[in-house]
Amino acid sequence: MAYVIGVDVGGTFTDAVLDDDSGSVIAAKAPSTPPDYSRGVLDVLEQLAEQLGRSVEEMLADTHHVAHGTTSSLNALVTRQVPDVGFLTTKGHRDSIFIMNVEGRYLGRSPHELQHVLAQDKDHHLLGKRHALEVTERVDRDGNVIVALDEDEVRRQVEALRADGIRAIAVSLLWAFRNPVHERRVREIVHEIDPEVYVALSSEVSPRIREFARHSTTIMSTQVGPGLRDYLTNLEASLKQRGMTGPLLVMQSNGGAVAASEAPAQAISTVGSVLTGGVVGSGQLGRRLGHRNIISTDVGGTTFLVGLIVDGEPERDTTTVINHHPINVPTLKVHAIGSGGGAIAWVDPGGNLRIGPHSAQAVPGPACYDQGGTEPTNTDANLVLGILPASGLLGGRKALDVDKAREAIRTRIAEPLGLSVEDAAAAIHAAQNAQTGDLLRKSVVEAGHDPREFVLYAFGGSGPAFCAKYATHLGVSEVVVPLGPVASAFSAYGLAASDIALAGELSDPAQLPVDPVRAEKNFAQLSDQVRQGLDRQGLKFDRVEIVREVDMRYAMQLAEVTVGVGDGPLDENAMNDAAQRFEQKYADLYGQGSGFSAAGIQAITYRVRGRGVLPFSPELPPLGAADGEPPVSSRRPVYLEIGQGFVDTPIYDYTALRAGHVVTGPAVIEVPTTTVVVPDGRTGTVDDLGNLHITHTQQTGA
Amino acid sequence: MTMAVPGSERFSSRPIDPATLAGQLPENLPVHTVTQEQVDAVDPLTYEVIRHRLWSVTEEMGEALKRMSGSPIVTDANDFDFAVSDELGQEVQVGLYNTMLVGAVDLAIYWTLQHRATNPGIAEGDMFLTNDPWVGGGLHQNDAMVYQPVFWEGKLFGWTSAIAHQPDLGGVGLGSFSPAAQDVFSESLPTPPIKVVRDGLLQDDVADVWVRRSRVPMMIGLDLRAKVGANTVGRDRLLAVIEQYGADTVKAVMKRMMADAESRLRGKLTTLPDGTWRATGYQDQSHTGDRELHKITVAMTKADDHITFDFTGTDPQSGVVNCTYAGMRGGVMLALLPILAGDIPWSAGGLMRCFDLVSEEGTINNASFPAAVGRGPIGPAWLTGNLVAECLSQMLDQAPTLDAHVQATCCGTWDTAVIAGLDQRGAVPTPFLSIIMDPMAGGYGAQPQADGMDTGGLFCIPLGRVPDVEMTEFLYPVLALWRREEPDSGGPGRRRGGVGASLAITPHGTSFPIGLVLASNGKAVSQNNGLAGGYPGNTGVEWIARGGDVNQLLGAGRMPTELADVGGTAELQPCYGETYVAPGEVFTMFWQGGGGYGDPLVRDPEDVARDVREEKVTASTAEQAYGVVVDASGTVDTAATEARRAALRDGRRARAASDGDRSTVDLTGSRRLDDNLVAVGDQVACRHCATLLGSGAVGELDLVRYEGPVSDAGPQVVDGAGEYVDREVHFRQYCCPGCFTAVSTAVVPVDHVDDVTRTSRVLADARR
Repeated sequence: MAYVIGVDVGGTFTDAVLDDDSGSVIAAKAPSTPPDYSRGVLDVLEQLAEQLGRSVEEMLADTHHVAHGTTSSLNALVTRQVPDVGFLTTKGHRDSIFIMNVEGRYLGRSPHELQHVLAQDKDHHLLGKRHALEVTERVDRDGNVIVALDEDEVRRQVEALRADGIRAIAVSLLWAFRNPVHERRVREIVHEIDPEVYVALSSEVSPRIREFARHSTTIMSTQVGPGLRDYLTNLEASLKQRGMTGPLLVMQSNGGAVAASEAPAQAISTVGSVLTGGVVGSGQLGRRLGHRNIISTDVGGTTFLVGLIVDGEPERDTTTVINHHPINVPTLKVHAIGSGGGAIAWVDPGGNLRIGPHSAQAVPGPACYDQGGTEPTNTDANLVLGILPASGLLGGRKALDVDKAREAIRTRIAEPLGLSVEDAAAAIHAAQNAQTGDLLRKSVVEAGHDPREFVLYAFGGSGPAFCAKYATHLGVSEVVVPLGPVASAFSAYGLAASDIALAGELSDPAQLPVDPVRAEKNFAQLSDQVRQGLDRQGLKFDRVEIVREVDMRYAMQLAEVTVGVGDGPLDENAMNDAAQRFEQKYADLYGQGSGFSAAGIQAITYRVRGRGVLPFSPELPPLGAADGEPPVSSRRPVYLEIGQGFVDTPIYDYTALRAGHVVTGPAVIEVPTTTVVVPDGRTGTVDDLGNLHITHTQQTGA
Repeated sequence: MTMAVPGSERFSSRPIDPATLAGQLPENLPVHTVTQEQVDAVDPLTYEVIRHRLWSVTEEMGEALKRMSGSPIVTDANDFDFAVSDELGQEVQVGLYNTMLVGAVDLAIYWTLQHRATNPGIAEGDMFLTNDPWVGGGLHQNDAMVYQPVFWEGKLFGWTSAIAHQPDLGGVGLGSFSPAAQDVFSESLPTPPIKVVRDGLLQDDVADVWVRRSRVPMMIGLDLRAKVGANTVGRDRLLAVIEQYGADTVKAVMKRMMADAESRLRGKLTTLPDGTWRATGYQDQSHTGDRELHKITVAMTKADDHITFDFTGTDPQSGVVNCTYAGMRGGVMLALLPILAGDIPWSAGGLMRCFDLVSEEGTINNASFPAAVGRGPIGPAWLTGNLVAECLSQMLDQAPTLDAHVQATCCGTWDTAVIAGLDQRGAVPTPFLSIIMDPMAGGYGAQPQADGMDTGGLFCIPLGRVPDVEMTEFLYPVLALWRREEPDSGGPGRRRGGVGASLAITPHGTSFPIGLVLASNGKAVSQNNGLAGGYPGNTGVEWIARGGDVNQLLGAGRMPTELADVGGTAELQPCYGETYVAPGEVFTMFWQGGGGYGDPLVRDPEDVARDVREEKVTASTAEQAYGVVVDASGTVDTAATEARRAALRDGRRARAASDGDRSTVDLTGSRRLDDNLVAVGDQVACRHCATLLGSGAVGELDLVRYEGPVSDAGPQVVDGAGEYVDREVHFRQYCCPGCFTAVSTAVVPVDHVDDVTRTSRVLADARR
């Protein structure tokens, strides 16, 4: 018997999923326990053990590994609960992080906020100027040392930081990714003075051209590194004390895990871990269901996250935005496109219905939560429309107050627009669906894909009530609602199913044809780095997969596109093949003829991704086969279509459904953790893992 | 000035009544439109759904343009814009990039409908290209617009457009900028609308004519294709929306979006006080060798739900500091959009119905052909915008519920530096030409409730950005010795103006001098004015360390941080000039921050201390301008600060020729007029000391006027007007005669007519 445990530490709840190698899966949920999230982890592990009928010690002794995704680093950054750190950079260029390329004023703001220029600010500096210090040195774009490092000055600056109580220093010098000699020497000097000070070098954390993003990335990594180190050391010790023999792994933004001991040095790579679990889970389930192209939509109470899986591989990105700063971290591409079930509906001064971008958040939450919220949300509309049961969520454990919902919609929407409360609620529902469809379409189309070639996966507490509708707006014909035993903890399921993934990258901008020897040298260096990193994980892999990539661009166009480089020896042909793939991909993304090949092509950043495949593949347990028609648990009037009003609609209890059951819309399926709507003209089919597939009903000929 | 050119009037496009325009169209161009009943019949849900989709269409056009363009001006600095317009060219949805262009796009479409519908015709599959600032589309010839009619079932349904600043389109000067130009014939040739795409096919002959004029034909060819591509994206997405929802419904939503924006702006105007506000500003030097000041003046009259901007009195066109009507209108939009419409969707076609422009032709912001207009957007159009912003802010300052939108003047211009030379770093030496984009990091003006944004960008390009230094060094053979925020460059005030920044570069990787074309202004007279007693921000200055040898310094392990470290002779650059920077020499640019709001003597000392710690203000300026004494640890010395502030006020009192005592009034129930003034009934009083300053809606406020040397404004303002112009320039301040709080602070020519003391400026609205 061997288990794999995935633990997903969110802001509110800590979810866990345990798989074993004989096809059983269990899930558990416990409140998260900030600031020490490790207590919540231990709580949820106890719940798992309880379900197994074993002690935590027995369970952990039989556990191959624990894969852990945590929001704590990201939360620390977003709420700025991070310790003071120091920053050392090239003389004359300290203010890069204060000028923020100007874009720090608006990066990460919603369209609504973008337009409201006079309400913007740049008050989100990573640190004060007192702790941002310069050292005399200079390297040029070709890596030549132009000004030697003034080592005495470095010592003075380090002493000044230490005198202020600084215990962690980010070092990011201009062009250090071309020649790290000064950065490395600065670290040596710091450690000569005090070996206990945490030092991060930009040439290691983010060896990529464009200094503002590299500085921000290195600083943020320094801000969360020591905290992550302390947290993981503590958690791993607690788990070992309780008998864990396998390793503790930490999920990264790139969709793969890394050993806990290795995470703090590249702390920034773990910040997006909670966002990516759902995409990884979709990928795992997609492999099982035979779906190669998936739009993964994770709709919670306050967030709406979208990821894409194309031809079986998650779409990746090389940059993300945190606190209005661009951050270089190889990541699964996850768009936050809205505010989920808590999005507030409002009537603007022009008398027009608007949805979001403001959200009721967890507190006060939708009006129907009766926690003081007075503004109508999507959730309130769904309650008024009969989509959500008046008896409440989570099988009645979360009570809902329909009067509060009606009141909020009446005063804020219905009366200003001259509609009935029900029609106003239906308008909110429909506007939300259409808007979501637009944003999804934009995400998919801008990535160069046709939504009609995708299957849409919908999970999270709020997604399944909307998904069939927004999928229609998007032009997607099949929707999958992942259910079964992991319905409530799909992200944790993704964690439990993940492999180890490491990436190394290096900017070496040059015009093609690049000498293959130079490219080979870059790849060889990165491959060594990644293979050594995999060796340090202390794990046994079934196999190791290495993927080589290069970011290319047309010499005169600045949009960079990542293309794969084959495994074989790197000769001129291999580079030419890569260039051809680049041209093809550029045309796919930006339109035929949009590239300007006459200007030539440049290779900018080399990247090697390594995946250590773990000798463990979790299986989902099969569901019993259906026997006859699905049992209708009750009926109630539900308002799903504008113009049709309330229609007497069958309600199904998910726990009574079995593989092969077919539910014809309009219908509502109540799952303990969510509510699924099957609209008129659609059919929901339960598969043998318990997932619900929603497709167009055949006889309507749609 | 060159004589007027008969026959050129045909190219002057003006706003036109839509019904009139529709009536002029030939029968072979049927247009799709909807009735008012159809517009009224759109339900709120459909409206919101389609409105959101149209927003998404313009977003995608912008992304497409940015990704395809080869010009760092577009890709790294975001100087471009795009729009979706209705069948008559009225702008339904515009982008958030260069907002001045919004005032020019529709003019070109009106002109095209008037002059191209019959011959050569406007047909499905066409795209037009123009860079004629009299026709519209852009503000100077470097703004090139590609736009297309979109047809549905044979009828003209609407237009999409994409404009971007091109690095060079010919003419005698590098970057098409000729600081010595006598007229437009020395500049890039203005091209009226020409069909660049027919039947969906880019016409090689037209494209070749277009790129042939440029010093960087490849980049121009690429940007042309990028704009064609962006329009294609726009049309495909727009047609998809029409297919899904029907042409009538989509059009009804488009019309309603404009009507909605219009009615919301009108509604907002109705809540604001009626009155007239004035502002006057200057371009110092109009071309190489000029030593004059050139004035733009505006009187903004707001009555009920409408505004009139009257520019009568503006100086005649001169040199290269002219813009066309499109530039004047674009200048108005750069201020109006963020200040009045930050919370209203930017359906510009509707917003532009809420104001009229009154102006004399042949003036610097309404120039007649063949005036040189290369400096149009960054000189006179920009100044127009700043003056409009000053008027709007004076009006809004009286309406405390909207005070989030009051703002002192932002960075007053764009310090242009075109660089060109030979990059010898690669195997094959390559010529290069570009514009230094770093001055995009200007400072914002202060607001009543917030300091101006430090290096916040340019007010006219909400989504502008500066390139990373590494990207500049990667592309061009230069080494940046520094790029840094400059302390004290923000105008002092109760709220401080946002700081500007400076850049120092030296040739690196070339053995030849780098050619430089320079153009800027605001050097003799401040352009980044303060508001409500706040001080102006810094003067922009450019220097070259002529004959210096920085490489020796670098080799010796020293990195200069001041021009003086470099050696050689420090050579101050004029507003307009053509020069070079040789290997070993250093070129520095120091561009403008924003103006301050309110009197710096009433700024919270803790805010000043924080500014000193964050190096936004030096300790010396903290003491001189703010009267705040901060010790070495960055802590306020309260006693010394009180003494210092009292002394500064005494100094103002001592220098005044003020006579006698003033009466005070009971401020109970008073109403805010700005940071210093309140109204009690029909009386105006000082908010700080209750001194009675005036009454009734006529007459003058009793303020103490002081005139002194420019140096009185503080170290951020360079006292060197004589370097640039012959007119004398001075510091002028009006204070309350009771407590000597500053009510207005400015650096202006001695003959500047200001409007500070007119009682009706602050007490115009008899309805209150």
